[in-house]
Amino acid sequence: CSRLHNKPTFSQTILIQGLYQNPQINNTAAGTFTDVEMQEHYDNFFEEVFVELEEKYGSIEEMNVCDNLGDHLVGNVYVKFHKEEDAEKAVNDLNNRWFNGQPILSELSTVTDFREACCR
Amino acid sequence: ERSKPKRKYRYWDVPPVGYEHVTPLQYKAMQAAGQIPLVASS
Repeated sequence: CSRLHNKPTFSQTILIQGLYQNPQINNTAAGTFTDVEMQEHYDNFFEEVFVELEEKYGSIEEMNVCDNLGDHLVGNVYVKFHKEEDAEKAVNDLNNRWFNGQPILSELSTVTDFREACCR
Repeated sequence: ERSKPKRKYRYWDVPPVGYEHVTPLQYKAMQAAGQIPLVASS
């Protein structure tokens, strides 16, 4: 895969690149994390993102976070809204917001079924 | 009627230290121009 994917003009799904920072990747002398701590960290992240996106931009059908360590997908968040217009609104606004000390990189995505999400 | 307590976020709208005065769009343009590294410490 060249990773030069087609970018749709309209979509219910948005991609937010590298939003989730796995504490085990950027581990700076903070020691190791237990499985429970990792789960807690992830749960807090998920809730904070989900709640804000749904409150601000519209009803969410599904949200997925890529947590595969050390690959190009790492930290990517895919959010499928019920309405295309909510997705568009979200992408436009998110690209001018900060998250955890970084600018958000967001775009519309062609993914509609996360279980079939594979580049062909 | 109970009002919803204001939620305090840990991650949302937290700018990088030292770049509070620029917008995220300006920051990304500066990254693209090579003026600041792609991954800045936060």
